[in-house]
Amino acid sequence: MKPETKPNLQTPPHTGLRDSLIVFRKEMVDAIRDRKTLMMIFLTAILIGPVMLIALSVIVGQQEEKSERREVWVSGLQRAPELHNYLLRQGMKVNEAPADYEAQLRDFRLGESVILIPEDYAEKQSKGESPELRVVFDSANRQSSLLVGRNVGLLDGYSREQGLLEMAMRGVAPAVLQPFRIQERNLASAQSRSSQMTAMVPWMVMMAVLFGGLTVALDTTAGERERASLEPLLTNPITPLSLVLGKWMAASAVAMAIAAISVSSFFPAKMLIQSEALQAMFRFGPGDAILFLIMLLPLAAAVSAVLMLTAVYGRTYKEAQSRSTLALLAFQMAPMIAIMDFSGEKPWHLLVPSLAQQTVMLRVLRGDELHLQHLLVPTAVSLVVTAVCLVILARRLKNLAIR
Amino acid sequence: MILVEHLTKQFLQPARFRVPAVTVQAVADMSFSADNGAITGLLGANGAGKTTSLRIVAGLLYADSGQVLIDNINVRENPRAALARIGCLSDSRGLYPRLTARENVIYYGRLQGLSQAAAIKRTDELGELLDMTELLDRRTDGFSQGERMKTALARALIHDPANLLLDEPTNGLDVVATRRLRDALRHLASPAGGSKCIVFSTHIMQEVERLCADVTVVASGRDVARGTVQELCQQTGCEDFEDAFVALAFSPAAANGATA
Repeated sequence: MKPETKPNLQTPPHTGLRDSLIVFRKEMVDAIRDRKTLMMIFLTAILIGPVMLIALSVIVGQQEEKSERREVWVSGLQRAPELHNYLLRQGMKVNEAPADYEAQLRDFRLGESVILIPEDYAEKQSKGESPELRVVFDSANRQSSLLVGRNVGLLDGYSREQGLLEMAMRGVAPAVLQPFRIQERNLASAQSRSSQMTAMVPWMVMMAVLFGGLTVALDTTAGERERASLEPLLTNPITPLSLVLGKWMAASAVAMAIAAISVSSFFPAKMLIQSEALQAMFRFGPGDAILFLIMLLPLAAAVSAVLMLTAVYGRTYKEAQSRSTLALLAFQMAPMIAIMDFSGEKPWHLLVPSLAQQTVMLRVLRGDELHLQHLLVPTAVSLVVTAVCLVILARRLKNLAIR
Repeated sequence: MILVEHLTKQFLQPARFRVPAVTVQAVADMSFSADNGAITGLLGANGAGKTTSLRIVAGLLYADSGQVLIDNINVRENPRAALARIGCLSDSRGLYPRLTARENVIYYGRLQGLSQAAAIKRTDELGELLDMTELLDRRTDGFSQGERMKTALARALIHDPANLLLDEPTNGLDVVATRRLRDALRHLASPAGGSKCIVFSTHIMQEVERLCADVTVVASGRDVARGTVQELCQQTGCEDFEDAFVALAFSPAAANGATA
């Protein structure tokens, strides 16, 4: 009864890895034959760099142009000729604001803040009271809020000049009026200033990776169930773990290829950028690309494993798609914590997949120092997530194969 | 040779939204054996437990009790050695639509441990045997039922297994395709085809009458009778095999056995 007693019992020399490689090769052939889907994925990956950088360069170009243009919009200009004179002396071009500027600001037709001179300006000034000057803007209208600081500064300067003239006529030394001189000093390097703009770049790259692995992850799990090919597949003498491993290798190979392509798409894209300021801002060299990939490749592996696990519970491709959308959403939203929350990075950020990668890639873009934990912690978390998902998947596979 | 002894299998459907939990006794006490060089029929109505039993034999399910020996190898204890000796044409016979028939078959051959060259050679042989040479290099997308069945059968035979499990293989086949399949199976059971041990499950009496040397009648998850078609007819005193089958599978005795 013992197997050893049978003479012709020898089974072919199986190793788990050999089986996995066979599965991997078949799944890759299968994925590559799905030309249309693959083309779509790769096209997105190739276009991400150029599209992102062109969009950024347009935004930066607009801002540059605006700050170079020395123009102010004033409502009620005729009420304060001395202010008009002061503004002209500062080298500004002074425009009369449109009468309905408030409405225009609200519905984004006017992209400038407006200096408002009140009707009782002349009256109050003649009585020796201080009239109120306003800088009107709409914080929802970003264009209008860009130069608010400059306009407030202009009015401040005018106010000081008026005061100085008054006091000087009464014989008071200017230093008494201005005991302090105040100057801003921005500590941010050019790179870190720009990273506010370029924060979306790592996020977009991660999106490409997330969606890149999706098709293969779905096809190798829910697709097999839908086609009723998983049950016969399991009648082969192969362990579920090596089967799952081969499938996962295929899914993550595609996701990793997407990561590599989308990261390298920034190099040709950089040549397309017109704005010199952006070119100075977006310093992305080969070293940065390698750091990006060190972050993205383990993430691609983990995402593929998670998507396969969520997808395998779907009986059909469609069902699996709606399940994995939920998982994708989590991966998509986590980095938003780093993009939206300006309170800075917290240690726990490094423990959350995709948020961790976003955090570290932002550091790379800012040119901040990277410590060992920045490289090791996200990668270790990704690997643990991958392993856990694959083991659960292998355990559940047999039960799920049977319809 | 396949030996199945006293299998039982229960499925538990968990409670869901006001639907209480249900226990289904899919296999109650199933025993049968299949010899080399013979086609053994597993005849039973829908839901009699044929597919579940075959899944247990193929190692896809674990029995609650009982054992399965494939050429004296216990499937539960030594699944990989046992599976290497079975070719399985299961109820689900999905193919990969983006691969050609040949690639579909070779994939299984490689997983069974054949080298690429050996798998290609064997695929050509099977193409001859199953009369599907011109199908081999077409993608399986858009194959007819008969073409799918042939591909799935070639896939099950790729490693030249000594034992063959066929779960309702004639489902959805036309007369010509069914005849071809019968011829192929007879050949495989003959000494020229390798004297394979073939287990053939079906609910169609004509198939069994034409093909099977040995029949096990299955009802309510257990084997209720065994013998050749003639023996079963004699046992029940019926002229017609259909009458004999109904008498065996739906008799009060069979039903009582299920509830006892």
